[in-house]
Amino acid sequence: MLKLFETETLSLDKLTDEQTAIKVNDFSVWLNNSLVLNNINMRIPKNKITAMIGQSGCGKSTLLSSFNRMNELNQKYAFSGEVELDGRDIYNKKENVAKLRTKVGMVFQRPNPFPMSIYENVCFGLRIQGKTERRMLDDIVETSLRNAALWDEVKGRLFDSALLLSGGQQQRLVIARALALKPEILLLDEPTSALDPLTTLHIEELINQLKKTTTVVIVTHNMQQAARVSDYSVFLHQGELIEYSDSDSLFTMPAKKQTEDYITGRYG
Amino acid sequence: MRKFSGAEKQTISSFASGLSAAILLIVLISLVLFIMLKGSVYFWPSQVFKVITYDTPNSEVSAFVPSSVNIDEFNQALSNKLNAQFSNSTLPMPLMVVEQVDAVYQISLYSGAIQYGTFQQINTPNSERYQLAELSDVVADVAIFQNQLHDIQTNYLTVLHRKIALLNQSGVGEEAPARLKELEQFTYWQQKAEALRQKLTSYHLIFIDASGQPFDVLVKDIHHLFQPNVMSLFDKFSYSGNKIIEFVSESPKQASTSGGVFPALFGTVLMVLLMAVIVAPFGAMAAIYLHEYAPNNMTTSVIRICVSNMAGVPSVVYGVFGLGFFVYTLGGSIDSLLFSDALPSPTFGTPGLFWAALTMALLTLPVVIVSTEEGLRRVPEGLRAGSYALGATKAETIWKTVLPVASPGIMTGVILAIARAAGEVAPLILVGAVKFAPSLPVDGEFPFLHLERQFMHLGVFIYDGAFHNQTNTQGSSMMFASCMLLLIIVFILNLFAIIVRNKLRDRYVRI
Repeated sequence: MLKLFETETLSLDKLTDEQTAIKVNDFSVWLNNSLVLNNINMRIPKNKITAMIGQSGCGKSTLLSSFNRMNELNQKYAFSGEVELDGRDIYNKKENVAKLRTKVGMVFQRPNPFPMSIYENVCFGLRIQGKTERRMLDDIVETSLRNAALWDEVKGRLFDSALLLSGGQQQRLVIARALALKPEILLLDEPTSALDPLTTLHIEELINQLKKTTTVVIVTHNMQQAARVSDYSVFLHQGELIEYSDSDSLFTMPAKKQTEDYITGRYG
Repeated sequence: MRKFSGAEKQTISSFASGLSAAILLIVLISLVLFIMLKGSVYFWPSQVFKVITYDTPNSEVSAFVPSSVNIDEFNQALSNKLNAQFSNSTLPMPLMVVEQVDAVYQISLYSGAIQYGTFQQINTPNSERYQLAELSDVVADVAIFQNQLHDIQTNYLTVLHRKIALLNQSGVGEEAPARLKELEQFTYWQQKAEALRQKLTSYHLIFIDASGQPFDVLVKDIHHLFQPNVMSLFDKFSYSGNKIIEFVSESPKQASTSGGVFPALFGTVLMVLLMAVIVAPFGAMAAIYLHEYAPNNMTTSVIRICVSNMAGVPSVVYGVFGLGFFVYTLGGSIDSLLFSDALPSPTFGTPGLFWAALTMALLTLPVVIVSTEEGLRRVPEGLRAGSYALGATKAETIWKTVLPVASPGIMTGVILAIARAAGEVAPLILVGAVKFAPSLPVDGEFPFLHLERQFMHLGVFIYDGAFHNQTNTQGSSMMFASCMLLLIIVFILNLFAIIVRNKLRDRYVRI
């Protein structure tokens, strides 16, 4: 019992490698020759929800997309340092980026379903990997949609266009699409900022469910959301990591003045 | 100068723009109406008037003249013409009388020629008949003889001819009994055929022309015989219907002044489709490279500018390039490599369908590239990101997500390309379109699609028609009719492509 209790509140400083999902070492990023992230060091715990908060332009989305190398799609991108996953630097030259992204899924701010049927949307990643066996696809589609709390709403029209779904449904479909690949880590970039409060609630419940099997990293502008959903929170300011601790302490008794200013709304 | 108030400026701006749009609309509609009116003359039966001109008091010249207008307008037009001719001359103006003769017949021959005359009698070897109602019996007789003749020609003469040719090949002697037997047979059937031909020429109709002289028309030559001046409205419509069917299904006759335009229609559509098949994938690939793979630097911008400029190069330049490079260089090389036994007569080294399609593809390539790139630019970044985030490589992202969404853009390019290629004339004359092609580029002979053959094209046909004698209403109205057909063809091809585009748009871009 004691041990279990301890893992629940495991201290970020003493994370073992087994408990770490992502390890960031001295990581800096330049976009268009300006420094966006300055020497970030952090460990993201496994099977927990970590929230990233901070002002617009503080670099939290850049940091998030560094975890599956999506930021490389920008032109004029430069970095230094390492991001370690399962003990290997994902920025090594031999890394299979496409495979990495199947392990580290990502969901974006605006729902971006493909112009295909709901079924094909969920299968997309699997088909790319060459999986075509119908029964297996059917199974995965159903589990993924159930996990994304969308199954009951769409089970009768799996072969209709995904573009006919509402915004909230589309966002859950996109999450289901990512889940179909059974990722170890799921990166959520402001997943609810374009949605109404009720749908947001749906998705927050969903994120909580995902914790059992997946490490979730979520970027949000909504402080309440970060406090509600996450186990750990990191506050970034102008490319610097200001404070990183469990959410309860960060939101109730922040250690740094800047954090306090931000969460009490004294910054812009 | 008075200053306009804000409200007045509003009015002026909306009025001026509205006016321009209205003028544009009027011009467009009148263009289409003009072509339609002029073209439909070809299908509508024209009236025939007898025109008598008295040059001097003693000599008169009469002629039957077809006209699409009524007698008053026709009279007016003729006297205007005379006035203009003789107003500055010292010669006395001739007297002219226009008469309506209801009994006159229009005799359309199978050869495409048209004659006018009043009916006198039907001559058969055994009798002379004076009722035109009996013509159908005579026609039936003639048909029987013609069938017999055809039978003899295909079943006996051709077979015998082939046999004799075989004997020649195997070197059988001149006096060999086998040869003599065949020859005897051949002469027998030939004589029989000749007798039938003689018999056919004895079935003829006698008509009286405008000046009262009789003339003969063989029954076997008559395609259509009717009295244009006393036709009922129903008759006129059925005549028009037949004429339209003939127009789109038959070959031109009488040096392209009558008959149909089927080979030109067929050639146009085939060439355009062939071009679309070549240009669509090629243009789309080039656009994908430019937009997705090429680095965003000077070189790419320069290439883009060059592509846009290519769209402005005069089409005849493409024609010359096609002739010089495709026909002479490429075609010549193909000939010397693959068809060397047929040389010096060229197979691919001469203007033909394939080279025309290739040249037109080159000509329309910039249009396809530009509009495909436009389509690619409209693909939301989120879609690409979503695809990458699911572990797709760049190629998979482009083929599976980007291209379907950009496909309406490609179709837009193809639509523009089709419209351009269907109407182009100058380059086609250089690389394969001809005034008259003896055979279609598609037939039952292997390999069925003959890419090396020359073909007919509606644009070239119209261009050729414009040089015909404009006083011959028949010929010039055929040009307008072809023009109308070309408009319709372009419209149908575009409509088809637009439907496909909208289907794609509904499927992929409804966000």
